[in-house]
Amino acid sequence: MRLNLFHTTAFRLSAGYTLLLTLAVGVTLGSAYLLTGRLVTAEVDLIIDTELKSLEDKFARGGIAGLTEEINLRADSWGRIGAVYLLADPAFERLAGNVTEWPFEGLPSERYPEFEIETIEPGRRALHPVRAALRRLPGGDLLLVGTDISQGRGFAEQFRIATLWGVGLSTLAAALAGFWFSFRLARRVGEVAETCQRIMAGEAGRRLPLAGARDEFDALAGAVNGVLDRLEEQARTLRATFDSAAHDLRAPLHRLRTRLEALLRASPALEPPLHESLEAGLREIEHLQRTLATLLQIALAESGAAPAAAAAVDLAQLTAELAELFEPVAATRGLTLASELQGPAVVQGNRQLLAQLLTNLIENGLKYVPSGGRIELAVRSLAGAVRLSVSDNGPGIDPANRARAGQPFVRFGAAAAEEGSGLGLSLVAAIVRLHRGRLELQGNDPGLRVLVELPASA
Amino acid sequence: MQALLIEDDIEAARILVKGLRESGYQVEHAADGASGRSLACEQRYDIVITDRMLPQVDGLAIIEAMRGRGVTTPVLVLSALGGVDDRVRGLKAGGDDYLTKPFAFAELLARMEALLRRQAQAHSTTRLRVEDLEFDLLARRVTRGGRELELTARELKLLEFLMRRAGQVVTRTMLLEGVWDLHFDPQSNLIDVHISRLRQAVDRGTDQPLIHTVRGTGYVLRREG
Repeated sequence: MRLNLFHTTAFRLSAGYTLLLTLAVGVTLGSAYLLTGRLVTAEVDLIIDTELKSLEDKFARGGIAGLTEEINLRADSWGRIGAVYLLADPAFERLAGNVTEWPFEGLPSERYPEFEIETIEPGRRALHPVRAALRRLPGGDLLLVGTDISQGRGFAEQFRIATLWGVGLSTLAAALAGFWFSFRLARRVGEVAETCQRIMAGEAGRRLPLAGARDEFDALAGAVNGVLDRLEEQARTLRATFDSAAHDLRAPLHRLRTRLEALLRASPALEPPLHESLEAGLREIEHLQRTLATLLQIALAESGAAPAAAAAVDLAQLTAELAELFEPVAATRGLTLASELQGPAVVQGNRQLLAQLLTNLIENGLKYVPSGGRIELAVRSLAGAVRLSVSDNGPGIDPANRARAGQPFVRFGAAAAEEGSGLGLSLVAAIVRLHRGRLELQGNDPGLRVLVELPASA
Repeated sequence: MQALLIEDDIEAARILVKGLRESGYQVEHAADGASGRSLACEQRYDIVITDRMLPQVDGLAIIEAMRGRGVTTPVLVLSALGGVDDRVRGLKAGGDDYLTKPFAFAELLARMEALLRRQAQAHSTTRLRVEDLEFDLLARRVTRGGRELELTARELKLLEFLMRRAGQVVTRTMLLEGVWDLHFDPQSNLIDVHISRLRQAVDRGTDQPLIHTVRGTGYVLRREG
């Protein structure tokens, strides 16, 4: 049996798990990225502040001239440590420093403004991002100190790409693992389900396959196989019990019947009153025999896992045959037996048992529907099922009693006085159950409608 | 006619043997499977009647032993098992007919007769004829005294069944099995009504009825009543 992979619990669980994993990896790597970025920036800011502080000290001690000298001393520091210095007058004209001009439009508002420096390095032009801070010196001049942060930026960029790859790959890995896991699980569960269906369909000797992996599935399959062994054993015992019961009840009945019949054949012939009461006795035996046969059939049907000698049976065809068989009898009782059959309506079952089911339903109608009435047989195919309905316009069964009608020896109202065993519907119910169908008794306003739904043959 | 009855129920067997002898059979009785099997394989009987459940060797094993040795004697299986699959198993094993206990003695006689006649009868015929009743099996046409009868497909099948066994008593259950393939007894008098319809078609307006009722047993198609 193939399960729809996307509907399995395993698939849903692993999809959820994959989503959760993606989220967790994303949050972890993302916050690491953000934290690292912030740390790097804080360190840069500290360096800038320290530099600013030391240059402000120089200014405090040596005035503008001392500061200019110090800045000129550090003119090569861009190449060494990526440091940027600029001293500008209030009109942003450069006074000293290793930057050619004021990099901003007027005064930037941020505490650590950033700008880019274009450099010419061997063979190529490059843009370097610089983070800076500035001070207005007493006298109005502006002091700008910055540092090249291109290394930190590059590192952050790599970190970002690594994060994306990390999240992507772990999602992919989780999704693949989940898919594989749920596929395997669905396949093994599917095997179990299919085997169970086959067993239900009558292959009583079949068992669940063991993968030999000693995993939880093997444990489950082993346990289920144990239950199946037990059930098969019980069915066998039950069957043997029924066989002995049938034998032990029929054998004396057979002797009794044989003796009575021998008496009836005897010569000289018996006195007429004796003859008649022997014949009455024989009729009682026949009645007893019929009840016993029906009871045994119910018991066999109830104990069986699947109908014996099951084959494809067209219920429409079978119903047509029985309608034709019963039509003359119905006519002699003043009843109309009509049928509306849409075939083929094929079910997997035992033809004799299904014919018996139809016979019992039709005979119920013959028995209870008064002359002038009507019995309708209908068969049609539904999606995956075949529906048989036997409807009449007779007295029907009180709604309160319908549920009990399928129980053995239960009869109602007028029926209680009628001849018959009260087993007809029980046998119908047992045959329907054996064929894994559904039996329903409905009102027909007036009358009774018996609905039988059997699974359609695949 | 030589018949062998294999039956472990001594009491029932005694009465059956007596009844069969009164009906013109020479009967031997075996009370257990082992002696029944060796007798049945001797091939000097016209028919073997065996119980299904026997001590030691059961009825089906006897049939298999017979068929294994090429003994073609017709076998009628008597069984106290009446399940739908028991019958199938009995016939599959090589039995020719199957009767569930308890049965009417007349039923047993009718089925024995049918099995014995079946042996003698050639089935390849295309035309059946009883007196002035003719059945053209190929054209599915029936005439009585040259006049064509209008019969339904089922009535044709019923008439064919009776004509092939002309002169033999045919029981209601034999008709249900042979014509409708139903192996259980409906309670209604179905067969009687179908026969009476067929009789209407076949015998009406003639002074020589062919379909006769055998009281308590069934029907027979033959010349005189």
